Amino acid sequence: MESNAGTTEPRSNLTASDGAQVTALESLHFTDEIHRLISAPVTDSSTSFMALLELPPPQAVELLHSSDSPKLLATSSPNVEDFKGSFHFPSNTGLIERDARFSGEANNSNGKRNSPEPKDLSANPEKAVKSEPAETESSQPLVSDPALEKRSIKRKDRENKVKGSTKKSKTAANESSEDAEKLPYVHVRARRGQATDSHSLAERARREKINARMKLLQELVPGCNKISGTALVLDEIINHAQSLQQQVEFLSMRLAAVNPRIDVNLDSILTSESGSLMDSNLPSLVMPVMWPEVQGNGHRQQYLHQWHVDALHQPVWGREEVCNNYITPENSLLTYDSSTNSETLHANQLKMEL
Amino acid sequence: MNKYNPPRMNPSSLRSRFATRFLRSLSKINAKKPTASSSSPTEIFRRYRRIKVAADKSMAYSVRSRRTWSRAMLWKLRTRPCCRRSVKTSTIVRKTRHEKQNKNTTTTTGEDGVVFGVEADELRELVPGGEAMDLYNLLDETAHYIKCLTTQVQVMKKIADFYSP
Repeated sequence: MESNAGTTEPRSNLTASDGAQVTALESLHFTDEIHRLISAPVTDSSTSFMALLELPPPQAVELLHSSDSPKLLATSSPNVEDFKGSFHFPSNTGLIERDARFSGEANNSNGKRNSPEPKDLSANPEKAVKSEPAETESSQPLVSDPALEKRSIKRKDRENKVKGSTKKSKTAANESSEDAEKLPYVHVRARRGQATDSHSLAERARREKINARMKLLQELVPGCNKISGTALVLDEIINHAQSLQQQVEFLSMRLAAVNPRIDVNLDSILTSESGSLMDSNLPSLVMPVMWPEVQGNGHRQQYLHQWHVDALHQPVWGREEVCNNYITPENSLLTYDSSTNSETLHANQLKMEL
Repeated sequence: MNKYNPPRMNPSSLRSRFATRFLRSLSKINAKKPTASSSSPTEIFRRYRRIKVAADKSMAYSVRSRRTWSRAMLWKLRTRPCCRRSVKTSTIVRKTRHEKQNKNTTTTTGEDGVVFGVEADELRELVPGGEAMDLYNLLDETAHYIKCLTTQVQVMKKIADFYSP
């Protein structure tokens, strides 16, 4: 990379002086740079080329590489040899002949070299590059134009380099920031017209994380999709969580009141549980004989007073009380069967409540 | 004759872990009670407390320490005084939101400019261990907590339905 960056300077000097007139000395200097260039990226031509694509400053280098791009893309040695061979023309014509040679080679070589060439070049945001392949493929008299374009492009690149990352983020225009859900680092691109200092960036990233979490919560809680506005959604979530906690309390109360006389295996319960949890079919493996044991009205009233339940709770217990008054706690299947009616009634009522 | 095999659920899912643990503790609770006084309201109340604690504990153990709320809940359950129930503290007194708004005027103005006000404080009270969390983690924990609560409710509902068909 440094060699590439380093070569921009002498090249800029080269073209800034006069695009058309390349003295012998400068061309020799040029050839040395190109030697260094070629020797380095030939080994890993693809990676350096892709790395070049990412950084704006060496785009100028890329342009020069673009004229040599058949070599880079194909990674075939004969191109390199020819290229190196062309260095030994210590004159202005060296440039021209190089272009001509590569245009000839581009024409002669496979069609696939030509097609990736404009494709890769069009990947560059610099528009001048697109004219490059057309000009390399044409013949000689257009050497000055590519050189001029290179010069202007290099000036732009230098400007971009100088202005720093804020410019870079702004030229990456209208790219929305990424969702920070899965990345260890938060890669945020600044939108057009937004501040890019680190504080607001961090705040924006944090805000978007929070918004993502809120969306997740909205999906989790039923009925939250239609509500707009964070405060209302949060209210809904809070209500839902509170109702779930209340349901847990209800159910534990119910389990306590049901008072099972469990004579069964835990394993059978577990298998039946897993079955029922999957299919919601009540298994008929074992019928534990149990029912709520109630003593009488008076005790139920004491229940109600003790627990400070809301109005919501009271109807439930009231109904249960009414039903269970008809049950005599006996331990036989007959009474179980006879009490199933009231049991089912009470269970259904509880289910409705829940 | 083909035997009908009910489809087995994932043995390591949250639901199955909670179900096994809770059923075990439930059988323990029901096993230790004497049959004589089991129907008295105080006894039922006592059992209700134990069952509720067992449900919370088994849920927290199913989640292990992966979540802040489960750790906080386990800690709370371990260090709570094992006193006999006092009637007043048995149920959670739920204040209305208006009372709270009049009472404390502290608003959680997030750095992002969104004023969450009372809701964030309420969430913090709801989710165990929520007092010490910032908003993002609080929302994260709330989501997981709600998911676990729903599984808890489903399993307990199935058990209750199983035991009182």
